[in-house]
Amino acid sequence: MSVGLRAAQGTATSSEVAVPAPWPVRMRDVVVRYPNGVTALDGVSLDLEPGEMVAVVGLSGSGKSSMIRTLNGLVPVTSGTVEVGGHDVTAARGRALRALRGEVGMIFQSFNLAGRATVLQNVLVGRVAHAPTWRTLLGAHTAQDRAVAYEALDRVGMLDRAWHRASHLSGGQQQRVAIARALAQQPRAVLADEPVASLDPPTAHGVMSDLRRVNRELGITVVVNLHLLDLAREYGTRLIGLRAGQVVYDGPAADASDRVFEDIYGRSIRPDDVLGS
Amino acid sequence: MSAADVATPVRAGRAGRPAPVPPRRPAGRWRAVAGWAAVLALTALTLAPGIGVEVDLGALARNWQNGADKIVALLQPDWSFFPRTVEPLLETLQMAVVATAVAGVVSLPLSLWAARTTNPHRLLRGAVRGVLNVVRAVPDLLYASVLVAMVGVGALPGILALVLFDVGIVVKLVSEQLEAADTGALEAARAAGGTQLQVNRSVAVPDMMPGFWNQLLYVLELNVRASSVLGLVGAGGMGLLIDAVRSFYRYDQLSLIILEILVVVLVLEAVSSAARRRLV
Repeated sequence: MSVGLRAAQGTATSSEVAVPAPWPVRMRDVVVRYPNGVTALDGVSLDLEPGEMVAVVGLSGSGKSSMIRTLNGLVPVTSGTVEVGGHDVTAARGRALRALRGEVGMIFQSFNLAGRATVLQNVLVGRVAHAPTWRTLLGAHTAQDRAVAYEALDRVGMLDRAWHRASHLSGGQQQRVAIARALAQQPRAVLADEPVASLDPPTAHGVMSDLRRVNRELGITVVVNLHLLDLAREYGTRLIGLRAGQVVYDGPAADASDRVFEDIYGRSIRPDDVLGS
Repeated sequence: MSAADVATPVRAGRAGRPAPVPPRRPAGRWRAVAGWAAVLALTALTLAPGIGVEVDLGALARNWQNGADKIVALLQPDWSFFPRTVEPLLETLQMAVVATAVAGVVSLPLSLWAARTTNPHRLLRGAVRGVLNVVRAVPDLLYASVLVAMVGVGALPGILALVLFDVGIVVKLVSEQLEAADTGALEAARAAGGTQLQVNRSVAVPDMMPGFWNQLLYVLELNVRASSVLGLVGAGGMGLLIDAVRSFYRYDQLSLIILEILVVVLVLEAVSSAARRRLV
């Protein structure tokens, strides 16, 4: 996989940081049942190959969000096993779980930045698992951590905003910073939970292209939850359809017809299922 | 456009479908009635002879001469007394500032400990909250009088009393602010593999700081007010002087002291509200 590819603005020097091998994901009979009795995942088994860009599609409430959160242990599974990069997420606790999460970046629908902190501080949050606690507490980041953060920001074209307050950026810019935060982890997989649902169409395409570049240029496994069928088709290499907590479709994304989406959604396609451009 | 054009659709609507019926008003209107009844009952109870607070309004009429003398004295501040008030006034301000600084250092970690979002450990959280509830329940003047007995007369017991008082307030307000804040960034830092300590430091602290400074400015104001009376029980500052002039019935001197406190409080309020505007 090529490493020293140019970032958005073409200003990046070639990186000396080796890109770690991407991780596969393996789920076996995963059931997630919440304390309130809702079954979010109902026996999901999946194998995601290293370096794939997987679009997970389904209506809200179909279990997409729960599924992606089982991959880094934010949502505990009720039964079944989840393995990421050969490590058992379901069994990991404490230090082991944090080390595992450190290798898996995550991007959220509402960006989830610390609004009062600077862009750089937010990106350095991606280094927490790789830094001793005292360094985080004192804010004494190593030069190497800073270099990684700058490179991540450069890759999404946000380096010039490093000292801006995160809350002063537009939605699209905030999501780019969130991607940089995930990249600063030097992740082996990136999980994105509805990353463009709060953005307008052109911005959404910009952010999705950033994610695609993360996948193609760095070779990182990307799992992205979407509810818009054209985005899933355009950016995913593989499409997984969820309905009521079960996998109802698994195949190539590009040639998934409208019929496929109607099957996944369990209803006919509506205009608002498409983002447009 | 004529009036008829406007009126027509309305009339058609009325004729076309039945008048809109709102959903039934939710039950619970009795609450307001019960609330007022409770207020009235409490008022009656407190005024009732024998069991209520004994307020004799007649005393006002009988002793008005007394009161008028004091007011006349208070209206004529003894300006020559000013040099003797400078040192106690500065001591009062020092006590307030030192106490605020110490309280700030203590309350920052305690606030994170006391909030659900930044401390998932229920027992630890409960312990911090429990202790702080007790701390907050005791009035500052009581702290001061006990601490004077423990560490002796002077500014030290006053500062300690103010710190206890401040920590109780700041931790409560800031931890509530933390719990009301959006938890998305915390989740992101947790997803990046941070320990709770790292999550709090890298995400919760930057977001809580403006509110935290805001509460500290607020307790600084409270401290200036409070520290001017703590001296009444021997805990340093203006209060010692107040106690002295009051026992000699020097209401002209007392009035100067009151004026000075008023000026300090007004200046401080202006400064802190200017600072607060910059925090947002």
